[in-house]
Amino acid sequence: MSEVYSILREPLIGGNKTYNDVTNDVCSPLERKPTIAWWFAFTISFTMLIAGVISVTYLLTTGIGTWGLNNTIGWAFDITNFVFWIGIGHAGTLISAILFLFRQKWRTSVNRSAEAMTIFAVICAGIFPIIHMGRPWLAFFVIPYPNERGPLWVNFRSPLVWDMFAISTYFTISFVFWYVGLIPDLATIRDRAQSHFKRKIFGFLSFGWNGSNRTWSHYEKIYLLLAGLATPLVVSVHTIVSWDFATSVIPGWHTTIFPPYFVAGAVFSGFAMVLTLMLIVRKVLRFEEYITLHHVESMCKIIIATGGIVSMAYGTEYFIALYSGNEYEKFTFINRALGPYSWSYWIMVSCNVISPQLFWFRKIRRNVALVFLISIFINIGMWFERFVIITTSLTRDYLPASWDSYSPTSIEIATLVGSFGLFLTLFLLFARFLPMIAIGEVKGVLSYGRKNNGEHL
Amino acid sequence: MSRRLLVTVFEDELDIVNATRTARENRYNIVDVYTPFAVHGLDEAMGLKPSKLGWVCFALGLAGAVAKLWFQIWTSSQSWPVNVGGKPLSSVPAFVPVTFEIMVLFAGVGTVITFFALRKLFPGKKPHIVYEGATNNRFILVLEQSDAAFDLRNVRTMFEPFNLVAMEERIDKEKK
Amino acid sequence: MSEYHNVKFEREQETIPHRGIDRRDFLKLSGFTFAGALLGGCQAPKVDKAIPFLVKPEEITPGLSTFYATTCGGCNASCGIITKNRDGRPIKIEGNPSHPISQGGLCAVGQAHLLGLYDSHRLKNPTMLGKETVWNDIDSAIKNTLKEIQTNNGAVRFLSNTISSPTQRNTIAKFLSGFSNAQHIEYDALSVSAILDAHEKTHGTRVLPHYRFDKTEVIVSVDADFLGTWISPVEFTKDYHKGKILNGNNSKFSFHAQIEANVSLTGSNADKRISISPNAYKNFLYDLTTTIEGGKSSIAEVNELARKLLSAKGKSLVVCGVNDIELQLLSNYINHLLSNYGNTIDIETPSKQYRGNDTELQKLISEITEGKISALFIYNGNPLFDIPEGNALKKHIEAIPLSISFSERSDETSSATTFICPEHHSLESWNENEVRAGIYSLSQPVLQPLRNTRSLIESLNAWMDTPKTAYDAIRDEWKNSVFTMQKKENDFQKFWDKCVHDGFAEVESGKNTVQEFSKQSLQNISRSSETTAMALILYPKISIREGKHAHNPWLQELPDPITKIVWDNYVSLSKKTAEHLSVKENDVVEITAQISNERRTLKLPTHIQQGMCDNVVAVALGYGRKGTERFTNIGPEWFEAKPTVNQGELVGKNAAVFLQFVNGSISYNLLQCSVSKTKEQYRLAATQEYHSLQMPEHLVPAGSERRPIIQETTFGAYIQDNSAGSFSKHEYESIWPEEHQYNNHHWGMAIDLTKCTGCSGCVIGCQSENNIPCVGKDEIARNREMTWIRIDRYFQEEENTFSVAFQPMMCHHCNNAPCETVCPVLATVHNEEGLNQQIYNRCVGTRYCSNNCPYKVRRFNWFDYEHGDEMQKLVLNPDVVVRERGVMEKCSFCIQRIQEAKIIAKSNGVALKDGDIQPACQQSCPANAIVFGDMNDKNSELSKRMNDKRYYKVLEEVGTRPAVGYMTLVRNSDEVNNV
Repeated sequence: MSEVYSILREPLIGGNKTYNDVTNDVCSPLERKPTIAWWFAFTISFTMLIAGVISVTYLLTTGIGTWGLNNTIGWAFDITNFVFWIGIGHAGTLISAILFLFRQKWRTSVNRSAEAMTIFAVICAGIFPIIHMGRPWLAFFVIPYPNERGPLWVNFRSPLVWDMFAISTYFTISFVFWYVGLIPDLATIRDRAQSHFKRKIFGFLSFGWNGSNRTWSHYEKIYLLLAGLATPLVVSVHTIVSWDFATSVIPGWHTTIFPPYFVAGAVFSGFAMVLTLMLIVRKVLRFEEYITLHHVESMCKIIIATGGIVSMAYGTEYFIALYSGNEYEKFTFINRALGPYSWSYWIMVSCNVISPQLFWFRKIRRNVALVFLISIFINIGMWFERFVIITTSLTRDYLPASWDSYSPTSIEIATLVGSFGLFLTLFLLFARFLPMIAIGEVKGVLSYGRKNNGEHL
Repeated sequence: MSRRLLVTVFEDELDIVNATRTARENRYNIVDVYTPFAVHGLDEAMGLKPSKLGWVCFALGLAGAVAKLWFQIWTSSQSWPVNVGGKPLSSVPAFVPVTFEIMVLFAGVGTVITFFALRKLFPGKKPHIVYEGATNNRFILVLEQSDAAFDLRNVRTMFEPFNLVAMEERIDKEKK
Repeated sequence: MSEYHNVKFEREQETIPHRGIDRRDFLKLSGFTFAGALLGGCQAPKVDKAIPFLVKPEEITPGLSTFYATTCGGCNASCGIITKNRDGRPIKIEGNPSHPISQGGLCAVGQAHLLGLYDSHRLKNPTMLGKETVWNDIDSAIKNTLKEIQTNNGAVRFLSNTISSPTQRNTIAKFLSGFSNAQHIEYDALSVSAILDAHEKTHGTRVLPHYRFDKTEVIVSVDADFLGTWISPVEFTKDYHKGKILNGNNSKFSFHAQIEANVSLTGSNADKRISISPNAYKNFLYDLTTTIEGGKSSIAEVNELARKLLSAKGKSLVVCGVNDIELQLLSNYINHLLSNYGNTIDIETPSKQYRGNDTELQKLISEITEGKISALFIYNGNPLFDIPEGNALKKHIEAIPLSISFSERSDETSSATTFICPEHHSLESWNENEVRAGIYSLSQPVLQPLRNTRSLIESLNAWMDTPKTAYDAIRDEWKNSVFTMQKKENDFQKFWDKCVHDGFAEVESGKNTVQEFSKQSLQNISRSSETTAMALILYPKISIREGKHAHNPWLQELPDPITKIVWDNYVSLSKKTAEHLSVKENDVVEITAQISNERRTLKLPTHIQQGMCDNVVAVALGYGRKGTERFTNIGPEWFEAKPTVNQGELVGKNAAVFLQFVNGSISYNLLQCSVSKTKEQYRLAATQEYHSLQMPEHLVPAGSERRPIIQETTFGAYIQDNSAGSFSKHEYESIWPEEHQYNNHHWGMAIDLTKCTGCSGCVIGCQSENNIPCVGKDEIARNREMTWIRIDRYFQEEENTFSVAFQPMMCHHCNNAPCETVCPVLATVHNEEGLNQQIYNRCVGTRYCSNNCPYKVRRFNWFDYEHGDEMQKLVLNPDVVVRERGVMEKCSFCIQRIQEAKIIAKSNGVALKDGDIQPACQQSCPANAIVFGDMNDKNSELSKRMNDKRYYKVLEEVGTRPAVGYMTLVRNSDEVNNV
């Protein structure tokens, strides 16, 4: 078996795989019994989910008062979690859409699970704007539907309405994108399925896909179109989320640089989360040859880049505040760094500005354990970024008489834990029942960095 | 009516591309090519015209955007005008975000639906697999034996350089 | 009446409905409504069933309010009030604008005592030895015992608070005359007895002078909280501001110096506040006397004050709030030297609001302890709670053969008496008060008694076997005395009707005979030796005062204007003292003192109060009332919630243990005590966390100053330039075209910070008008108070200056309201009259509006808040929605009043006049600080204020364009010390 490797590029997929190997490797986790590791992870995640369900039920039956909020601080954990999860989602779309447009072939090994992650993250995010309402049972009021009240419509000037449209669109498009990408693989699974039942299910889900190239050519087109649409969409979504704050009048919220700042932050946090998950997946599901150190490195590089933008934003924000000459603005930022919530500010800085700098070193980029650790740090840091922006700005705004402090209740913490529970549970189920890697796309790049002499058997 | 088809099977993307191109150069009537993944260069090898879905996408997006913008202006300034924060009844700049989202939604979802309709794909459709492995590691080129001149030997020799693995004749009952 | 008894009034904790008013409540309420409607007319016949209108009483129209002028029973000041009745039950109390005493103002207590009417803890029936009984039994029982006492000449004592009703006095006198050894003793929990005693000595007449703050140019007040709690706060506030008029060049602005140790409401409004320990009060007054006599004092401030006082002879006033004969004599003397008698102090037509006599009280106490009394009547007072050694009297009173209390509930005192013959609530009974010589304030019942109670007059008459209704008694009294004192009207019926309508009568009373000032009694007053001992001040709070209204949740939850703390009393002390004792906020300290060679202690949490004098601790009276355990469950129930009062504990602690008699009068200042730290902690709940407009030192941005929230200047500067102290105006440029015009009305409000004393009357007024629930201590501690109007209070403390500023804060109804833009569901929008409206049933509760409000005046229903027990729900204003859980709410400018006024104007076919609409906060403001009106009406009071150079808008630079503005705070001080 003669294999000639390119001297320019190392192959994206290691271990000299054939098309058949790819199919087998990717499908095997679906066909073998779940491992102990999976059951262990699932039990933990599901328990977390239950904790969340209980706390939310209590919230809905008792009132928002069960959260630590007050007259001065109307939002804290709820919207922090919302923005955090939306941010997480963005990496998925970025990998699947933007890297696709940029023809980054390495994306193929991670885009499927990254997109799945997007969908689950958006689901987690979507919960918070609903449960944070005082009367969630009337949440449908934010939808402009014909009614007997005039008809009374909604306020299209409100960033919350923008959110509602942005999130739902984002979810729909991401889901469609993901599912369209999934169809050929579903067909693959269908055709190798042993059990009649499984064949039925996947037969149903795979839309009668038969690999016809006439279909492929349209397919490629819409994939490109979806990528083209998802790219501005993902930018718009976090821009709109940032407008929740940027359009307000509260010092620390009322900031014009929020849109780019938030988008960068989102990608930053998202990639951290992708890394966290991928590093586990490649170990547990033995995908080392598909998700190679090369992938890990590329993602680390993106983290350095976005992390740089985020750090830049922190600096700019500060400079503008002090330069503006606006008393309230100045104070807000000094208060962030030195006030009662300075601890959260410094957690944010050390996690988001300092820790990613380690990725400048190739050694660290290729050290899976370290990368994993840092990715966790970044996740924490980015959660705190949102907390700092939302909560500490509110605690001390214009009138000193209305200044106050905030501390979360057990319910709020349980809800946050619960959202992670939901996310992980969904992800584990996905890992169990659907191909974690885009079989079709990987096969497409199998020859990458490898002189192909047609000898595969 | 029924057709006599020739199913030829290959194992590599390059082979199938070249085989298809040669077949077309030799004026063979290509029914279709089945591949486990999107093989680049196959389209022009088959002589397929570039997909028109782009225009559909554009049209849908435009429609969505216009409709939504109109709806926002209508609801806020015609249907029930209210003074919100002293802003004008139709504060168009504030309507841009939602307009954009709806545009993307219409364009995206609309195009995908069109695609499914175009290729008659729908949940639970009975798949028609020409050759075992079509969705795994086999590349299948289907030719139509249209005229009497059609000679299997010529085909075999033509495909020789492309490591032909299998080849079989079929009578196609179903309506293509 | 019977269905009142069928309904269970006791609060049943477990059956608290969780969503506003549920079906059962609704049925109960409607039951009340019908009955109430039928009983609404004062003279309406009693009924035994709740039935809908068959024949509609003429003055009751469902949905329309009826108003009755009557007199406030909140305290002895007897302000004139107007009650607003809906369907036969009073739902709001407001000041009576034509009343000569209160002149339309009404304090927090006055407005809140309405809730007391619906207090479910009021006795339903008279009780004998704690058991409920009926009047006939109790009467016969009492009469028999009285006969025995008559036969064996037992001592009969009638103890009461000051009774200023001639009819009641005469009835009591007549009743007592039937006994050989009988006496009527009057005392006041917040005693000013020393003032009367002093005047007896100096002017030979034991009267409480009528202080004319309206005539004064220089006021020196030694620990007299005359704007807050002293004698007649509303009257004094009104008069005080007649001496402080800012009107361009023809302005007059009195100078007011306050000498005090604790920070009182009056002190925080003073132009100059001198903080000295009560130990030094006497010497201060002594020095002031000598300086005015021509001497010179070592203290610069004294000389300065003396100079100011002398420069305003006959136009100055020295008042002393210390209930000590010597200090009172000194201040009398000073006033005499300044020839203020006859000018700013009127003792020829004196005030009748207080006439308690501590010396007699002391005598009575010894009689009781010696067991000499055979019959004791206690009316309208709670001696076992609020007099020195009160608690020790319990066993002695229980030993008295016949002890009768007229208390409305089973309290500390009445629970020790044999009989309780509950008196009506002041809103249920006929009564009158001779508030000042020649001024009679009339009380009429505004509804039939809710309980089986009986007025004092009727009880006494019953026991004298001369049955007579209070109505007849009072009417006769007026026929024979009041009517004869006037010439204007010669038909009594007409006169009577007019008085009932107006709520008062002003007549010619003979002048009180006054002797020449005698210096005689001052001979043996000398400077006392300086001491630096720790002193204890027992003071009444604005809300709870002596404790009479401790069962009123509105008052318990009313933030103290100075400390902003609710639901508790505490030990206030200065920062230095705190450091010296090494205690922090909320640390529990123990106060120890020797009183009548007996060690008394009290444990209370610490509150560190800026501006307080060092080595002084201050504790509020009136707390620790029996029965206040009832408030344990006030507020929402959820698993992290902490009870307002711990199970079985009381609200606060009774500080009366430190009361004692000093030279024959109750002393509220304990000159010698010790304070020690304990290990315990106790969390106090306050509505304000940060107290200054200066940013914390370590966070001050370079080159920044205090926040431009309160404009402040001195009177001197104001005279030079009426716009003195103004912030630089911000040019507001909109990116939007000006599309919305307010052509018809455009409502707005202007609040004069110079006038606002921070008395918090508006807060209660708003709470009562707009159905604002009490949320309990835990919610307040979580900064979830629901009051729509709050009073922001800022301190500024430097080495020797301490100033306070109050700023009422409510929804600013901004033209460019940030809240409206962000609401996703159009639940808060602007109407064509410039009101920022909140549509409750559309609100989904995102709280985005509240976050985006620069004034943070929006209030969120974090839970389903209770509106009192089932009976207290009767106080709800039917014109205002009771808000559901999860809904945002806020000041509506009392839109229900706006609409009502517009409808009335329309139905009368006339245009709205300026002043037709008064929001609850404005209506009863004793200082006229708040003015509401139409900005489009160029002649409205509001427009006048808006054109005033002092007018400014808070946070104008944010671009919200608020409809609420403020007027610069002006002080008559030498240099401006900005808050």
